[in-house]
Amino acid sequence: MSPVDGAGASNPNLPVDRAVTVGREPSSSPEQIPQLSEVDCPAELKERIEALMARYPDRKSASIPALWAVQERYGWCTPEGIRQAAAVMRVTPAYLESVASFYDLLHTERVGEHRIEVCTNISCWMRGGDELLDAFRAAAEGEDIFVTGFECLGACDIAPMAAIDQRYFGPLVPGEAKTAIDQLLSGDAVLPEKSLEKRPLAGDTEVQR
Amino acid sequence: MSSEKREVTLTIDGREVTAIEGEMLHDAARKGDVEIPVFCYEPKLGAPVGACRMCLVEVEGIPKLQTSCSTPVRDGMVVHTRTDQVKKAQNAVVEFLLVNHPLDCPVCDKGGECPLQDVTQGWGPGKSRVIDEKRHFEKPIELSPLVAIDRERCILCYRCVRFSQEVSEDAQLQLLDRGDRTYVGTFDDRPYVSPFHGNITDLCPVGALTNYTYRFRARPWDIEQAGSVCTLCPSQCNVSFTVRDEKVKRVIVRDNPGVDDGWICDRGRYGFEMFGAAERVTEPRLKGGDKVSYEDAIARAAKGLAARDGKVAALVGDASNEEGFLVGEIVRGALHSPHLDSRPAAGPGIDTILGLARPELQAAVPDIDEADVILVLGTDPMQSSPILDLRIRKAIRRNGARLVVATERPTALDGGAEAIARFAPGQAAHFVGELTAAIGGAENVATPLAESLRDASKVVVVWGERLGPAATAELLNFVDAFDTKNAGTDVDGPKTQDGLEFSAHQHVGLLEVPEVANARGLREAGVLPDAGPGLAALALNGHGTEEIREALIDGSLDGLILVGVDPLRDFADTARWEEALNAASFIVAFSTFTTATAAKADVLFPLETHAEKDGTVTHPDGRLQRVRPAAGRPGDIRPGWQTLSQLSLALGHDTGITSQPTAFAALTAAVPFYASITDKSIGGRGIRWQETESAANLPNSATDAGAASADTQRVSASDEAVPVAGALALGTYRDLWAGPITELNPPLKFLKPSQRLELSPEDAARLSLDSGDTVRVTQGDKSLEATVAIRERVPEGVCFLAEGIAGANANSLLNGHQVSVQIEKLSEVPA
Amino acid sequence: MPHALETRVLLDKAEDPRLATLQGYKDLVGGYATLEKAYKSMEQDEVLKELEDSGLRGRGGAGFSMGKKASFLPRGDMNKYLCCNADESEPGAFKDRELMQRNPHQLVEGIAIAALAADAGHAFIFIRGEYDSQADTLDAAVAEAYEAGYLGKDILGTHRDLELVVHRGAGAYICGEETALLDALEGKRGNPRLKPPFPAVQGLYGGPTLINNVETLSNVPRIVANGAEWFRQYGTEQSPGTKVVSISGGVRRPGNYEISLGLPTRDLIYELAGGPLPGRTVKAIYPGGSSSPVLKASEAMDLPYSFEAMAEAGSMLGSGSVIVADDRVSIPHMALRTARFYHHESCGKCTPCREGTNWTVKMLERVVRGEATPMDLDIISSVQENIMGKCLCVLGDSMAMPVSAMVRKFRGEFEAVMAEAAEGIDPHTIIDASPEALEAALEATS
Ligand SMILES: Cc1cc2nc3c(=O)[nH]c(=O)nc-3n(C[C@H](O)[C@H](O)[C@H](O)COP(=O)(O)O)c2cc1C
Ligand code: SF4
Ligand code: FES
Repeated sequence: MSPVDGAGASNPNLPVDRAVTVGREPSSSPEQIPQLSEVDCPAELKERIEALMARYPDRKSASIPALWAVQERYGWCTPEGIRQAAAVMRVTPAYLESVASFYDLLHTERVGEHRIEVCTNISCWMRGGDELLDAFRAAAEGEDIFVTGFECLGACDIAPMAAIDQRYFGPLVPGEAKTAIDQLLSGDAVLPEKSLEKRPLAGDTEVQR
Repeated sequence: MSSEKREVTLTIDGREVTAIEGEMLHDAARKGDVEIPVFCYEPKLGAPVGACRMCLVEVEGIPKLQTSCSTPVRDGMVVHTRTDQVKKAQNAVVEFLLVNHPLDCPVCDKGGECPLQDVTQGWGPGKSRVIDEKRHFEKPIELSPLVAIDRERCILCYRCVRFSQEVSEDAQLQLLDRGDRTYVGTFDDRPYVSPFHGNITDLCPVGALTNYTYRFRARPWDIEQAGSVCTLCPSQCNVSFTVRDEKVKRVIVRDNPGVDDGWICDRGRYGFEMFGAAERVTEPRLKGGDKVSYEDAIARAAKGLAARDGKVAALVGDASNEEGFLVGEIVRGALHSPHLDSRPAAGPGIDTILGLARPELQAAVPDIDEADVILVLGTDPMQSSPILDLRIRKAIRRNGARLVVATERPTALDGGAEAIARFAPGQAAHFVGELTAAIGGAENVATPLAESLRDASKVVVVWGERLGPAATAELLNFVDAFDTKNAGTDVDGPKTQDGLEFSAHQHVGLLEVPEVANARGLREAGVLPDAGPGLAALALNGHGTEEIREALIDGSLDGLILVGVDPLRDFADTARWEEALNAASFIVAFSTFTTATAAKADVLFPLETHAEKDGTVTHPDGRLQRVRPAAGRPGDIRPGWQTLSQLSLALGHDTGITSQPTAFAALTAAVPFYASITDKSIGGRGIRWQETESAANLPNSATDAGAASADTQRVSASDEAVPVAGALALGTYRDLWAGPITELNPPLKFLKPSQRLELSPEDAARLSLDSGDTVRVTQGDKSLEATVAIRERVPEGVCFLAEGIAGANANSLLNGHQVSVQIEKLSEVPA
Repeated sequence: MPHALETRVLLDKAEDPRLATLQGYKDLVGGYATLEKAYKSMEQDEVLKELEDSGLRGRGGAGFSMGKKASFLPRGDMNKYLCCNADESEPGAFKDRELMQRNPHQLVEGIAIAALAADAGHAFIFIRGEYDSQADTLDAAVAEAYEAGYLGKDILGTHRDLELVVHRGAGAYICGEETALLDALEGKRGNPRLKPPFPAVQGLYGGPTLINNVETLSNVPRIVANGAEWFRQYGTEQSPGTKVVSISGGVRRPGNYEISLGLPTRDLIYELAGGPLPGRTVKAIYPGGSSSPVLKASEAMDLPYSFEAMAEAGSMLGSGSVIVADDRVSIPHMALRTARFYHHESCGKCTPCREGTNWTVKMLERVVRGEATPMDLDIISSVQENIMGKCLCVLGDSMAMPVSAMVRKFRGEFEAVMAEAAEGIDPHTIIDASPEALEAALEATS
């Protein structure tokens, strides 16, 4: 325990709590609902959040969409971005941060320019999801790409699979990780033939041997 | 509002229990002496959340175990709380809670008074099967400068965050992350600062949230708890002092739904740390600081005062009913002077006071819970009576009460209001008049508010003494504008918990937020220029506060008794008060701390704090409460009643008061509407005199109610601010944190306010000011420095400064008239 | 061409990409004719009756009668809401995704008609944030429907209004739980609420709220168009209709297959999904998503795939998602994956789920590391029992049920894996299902 925590008028073995004799200062200022004039919210973001709020009977319903908007704008839910959204929504930044921190797709810390989620849940794990994740991690080494293992993405039919910037690809073999990342970095279409959108209905695939 | 509550009978563990329909099983069980363990359940926090699952019980006919905290009782229900199935569930939940809870009880501050410890012993499995690693956090860290958080100990009961969301509504304390990674925290790790945040340390059922002011300072077995009343503001919350070695170590809540709902503000919680300040006056002193014995001091005071017989006045502020009563005895009885007041500025005349004191007009605090519409008029409860702020929020949140706000300055409650009116400083009387007319149907500025009020069946008006005498007098007309026929009768009698039944007619109840904590008690004890004890008319009226000041300056008064007042900080027109105090040839002061005012005293007596005092106070709603001595008096401090009665005796006027009981007896004998109140009937929760048989003894007003005639209207037309180029009308307010509470109290020092000039964005733009700029604010030949704070809800043309700020006190710019100020930028906010 | 054992109703013409557009939906399957009929000529009670009579059971997991649930909503002037649960996050489930991406208008039409039954003026589709492309598809479909007057104010001049908003979640399985969904939709953390009150009485914004799964609502247009009797020609007495079943794991052709409920499980796995991978055999299945108690292959194959048969066998049909574990899958590792998922997704609000999932993961980790004893298996089982029936919602049970089933049915394997791991042997857990490996395996077996 650090000296400032303990106190001990009664226990001579404990240091005296300086809070009592001197008082402590907060390390920064507390954060209540910021006024719009304080936060410098880009007009476009403000309008977008206002439009989102208008979609719902209760403006607070827009908190997840508003956080998506912040994330889209800044790459992640930055404290400044959260404060801007909070000022527009008239809620505390703490409230929005609490919401953001609950959800796996909203990031309260900086993530890379691109995001890759690799499913490691049951069906993908059975078909090599862990290895695929390792391959993506290795391929993304040193790049501004955020790679993470993820719970079931709802695409076990293309296991093992990955979501690359919110689009689904599979079934993938580890070797395709490098290809995908190269394509991503060079701006080319990523693994076009592995895109979920291109996949025929299961029952219509040519019956395999 | 459900007015009829049926009783139901159910069986709990074979015992028949009678409960109120809708009541939760857990509470009903308690009535049958069956204890069901809980963690997350705390009715003060609102609807149960059923999260911790500690309270599972078996209800016959339902296959799954039910959470007794959230299951309402039904007639004929059969409940078991000790079956094997229930025991297994209880063991399971305790075991789960301990999966991540560290076993550091020996070094934990909660040890010995820890609900988790108690429940584990009473309902746990007795042994642990967990050998896996527990979760780790940095421990403990600063949640605020006053509260430490040890996240490893947290059992995620969410009481603290629910407090922040649903009681104080600051929404600063939140859950972060998810699942078992969840932790309690704030935005960007900033400190949790809200005027109520200390309550979370009372709520936390483990040692996760502890007060820095109490950590390691005592153990449950070497402390005593002493119930008393906090008199640091008019809320008069019920508190319990944790005392060790005769010293207060902690202040915790002592639930009283009639007063505080089980909460206290941080002022009341941490204020005790100033009791031992070096600035404390701990023995009688003479001017210049020489210490003297009580006997000597009393003799000197008596001599000095006697010499000015008939020319002595008294001002009383922080004092008990008995002390106020005794000052009256001294001034009127011993010194033959009628000049006595307990208000910082001119107040309404006795007719208005009597009119407003009518029991049927008096709202009690719990009436707020049941109101249809609450009108907050001329006060910001957050600054002046913080617990009422929480109470009003609760009424809106839980009972759907509607709120309308009419103030000069934006209030903390604005966000929840359906209509807001801002009147200009000095225009309160005019505004209340308009509102009255609007209730009657007139179309004017107050019409939007009147629309909210007009059809409400129960209106509670929370109004501030700061409205001033003319507006206060106008309140009686305002009440008359409502259709209250037949309604009053419901309110007269004692109230049941179930609330009132309303007739079709409206009922309007008024609740004052006075300027000092015991304002009502002092008035009723006779500390008024135009009424004696019991608000009785006097043969000869004396001067009020401001007239006393002028009389001292012009020499018609000569001696002054000051009890618990600090005019040089707290009263308007500092310079004139300085002049008056210098003009007085003899001053006897009673003061807790050495202040600039106290330094002017020829004889200075110490005052007790509310932790040391024995006496009664009267809540603004008429509730007499007992302040009980909890701690020892430091130094050579004697009880205030004792000193005052001895002084009276020394002046040849024997009050017969020789003890607190005799002082109380003298008070109740002198105040007819207190007559049937006894120490016993006050008990631990106080008693409202309106609800006793003596209520009928309230005198009728001499003139007709509503007579504004006798009152001085301070703001005459000519006072209205003449717009000068660049000048703004000045409004002032009391800041919750201004004064000794932060200046002499190390743990609260960080809250010490500096002077802020609040103004509208429009005016700021016009004056090229930014938030954070330093400005000089000038009124005539007086000025002070302040930091600009742009506030979106401040109307154009006005600005606000706080009173009581050391070194830049807004009181120094005031002169009893409406003033406007010039603003000059000194430096820009550093970019 | 669909397999002969498939019965395509919801996926009718789904192979045609034009179906995702309003025009395609109209041209290919006569879309929006039912909406028009319902809005112009049907009363709330008629729609309700059709739905109740059809016996349509919820496709989101609990299998509760949809018509009955809709009839629980109180009548009156208060605002009522309809929420389509498109959160689909349970491991093994991906059928809603297919329905939304291939036939979004069917869902929009279903919602509009169900809104009549619920007298709801505001509807929301809560779609998991990961389904970004599907949400885009829905957004486009909703916009088209507004444009065409099927949504919005005064629909088709009938003086009936319906606002429909596509609301994207942000990655939390718990939001699929109906009350957590409501909290998330209200802009909060997605924590489940105490029940009662049930959403039908007090749901979104405190108003009566009907919550149904994507597939449930997608069934609505055809039922209202063709009548309850038509619907009941498919499926069994207690499980009428067709079901889109997601099959994944150790099968040759993972994917969504629409069947008439009651089809033998064996046909589902062997005929439609092509059976286990070459050289493998089926060891166990989750018959209804990762929360359903695992069935040994020997228990499962002869069961009709229906709500009642699965319940009788001690498991459940759930969302209708079959995960196949073949003989080389280590069950303790599968139990750990399962537990990890629920641990990661537990919202943390109630104690048994929050701490129980966390503790179970720690114990299973010890099992696969070889640091546990058989006594730990007893503790694991007892902890599952301590979770079941004691939580605020059923997420905790969703882990406890499959995990306890696995420990009970495969105890020998748990002990063996523990022993092997203690000696440093890593049990084989991975199926190499890359096309190359598949090719090689096929060659080896042929
Ligand atoms: C933890 C949990 C997750 C759930 N996830 C989903 C889901 O993703 N989609 C869904 O439709 N129902 C889900 N449900 C079931 C819903 O609570 C609810 O029963 C369903 O949406 C009702 O729709 P239905 O009657 O049409 O099935 C989940 C339930 C639980 C307890
Ligand atoms: S810190 Fe205390 S009050 Fe807050 S959630 Fe944890 S245990 Fe409960
Ligand atoms: S006390 Fe009932 S669930 Fe927590």
